[in-house]
Amino acid sequence: MGFSAADITELATARDPASLIQLALERFDHVAISFSGAEDVVLIDMATRLGRDVEVFTLDTGRLHPETYRFVDKVRDRYGIRIEVLSPEAAAVEKLVRDKGLFSFYQDGHAECCGIRKVMPLKRKLATLDAWITGQRKDQSPSTRAAIPMIQEDLTFSTPSHRLVKLNPLANWSSADVWGYIRVHDVPYNELHTKGFVSIGCEPCTRPVLPNQHEREGRWWWEEATIKECGLHPTTTKAKP
Amino acid sequence: MHITFVKKIKADGNPCRKCAEVEARLEASGAMARIDRVVLADERDPDSEGMKLAAEFGVDAAPFFIVNADSGRTIYTSYVKLLKEVLLTPVSEDEEAKDIVAHNDNLDFL
Repeated sequence: MGFSAADITELATARDPASLIQLALERFDHVAISFSGAEDVVLIDMATRLGRDVEVFTLDTGRLHPETYRFVDKVRDRYGIRIEVLSPEAAAVEKLVRDKGLFSFYQDGHAECCGIRKVMPLKRKLATLDAWITGQRKDQSPSTRAAIPMIQEDLTFSTPSHRLVKLNPLANWSSADVWGYIRVHDVPYNELHTKGFVSIGCEPCTRPVLPNQHEREGRWWWEEATIKECGLHPTTTKAKP
Repeated sequence: MHITFVKKIKADGNPCRKCAEVEARLEASGAMARIDRVVLADERDPDSEGMKLAAEFGVDAAPFFIVNADSGRTIYTSYVKLLKEVLLTPVSEDEEAKDIVAHNDNLDFL
């Protein structure tokens, strides 16, 4: 059945996370949770508490921390669910590594590597779904996520012949809300969180952050220079002498 | 149709990294021949034409393209979208995926 455009507008801000997940599981024939191996585990906890079958997938880039791989299996065992582990296309990875080595992202930026290891397999998966559920939150990045709604048409991955809806049930939750839920419901979490990691991605591209550092500072920290280099903000220009 | 390619020039006189990369790809694919005009956004000169165009169209990163057609004017910040939608040039799956990452900062949750 899915959601109409009017549904999306109406529900964009109205639902608590669990109710939105329940509604999505009721309304969409093909809906899945995207699990990154981090705090978005709370989505799985909420969905399984609803007593419904839930489809979960995760992207194995081949570069994740050992702790994350262990955590994925821990979640599988804890909730008794099948987690579909999506791998990148071998030929594309082999070509990237053959041409540029294993750490090209430090020179060329992460887009090429993430494109091959994450986006290509994600695109293939999303082509089979009507909707996907993510753990995105506004507070994860004030600069890029401040406007994330609870529900949205996925304009990035929809095609003229395939409409895709993205649900972000945790959009309005803070990190404190998520960790409160984890503690109250005894939800398992990635042991990297005990080592100072807040945002968790691939091993070479993720680092722990210090107290009061924003979690985004733990990801792709070397790219600030490139962003400034190509920026066209007035502040990046020098005044005329 | 008229296509303008706006590229940034850094304080050292060289193009910014992304502009150099996109220009090389345009040259390699032969698509550069379809670009009618190249305009510089010069970091050393806030009044350079490219800087003024960036401010006029609210573009905050280089490179970008201005496409004037009978149907109106469109700004493309994505080189891949320009190839697909304007130049009608095939784009590889990995190049399209890279472009998706580059233009969707919020995908870093994956």
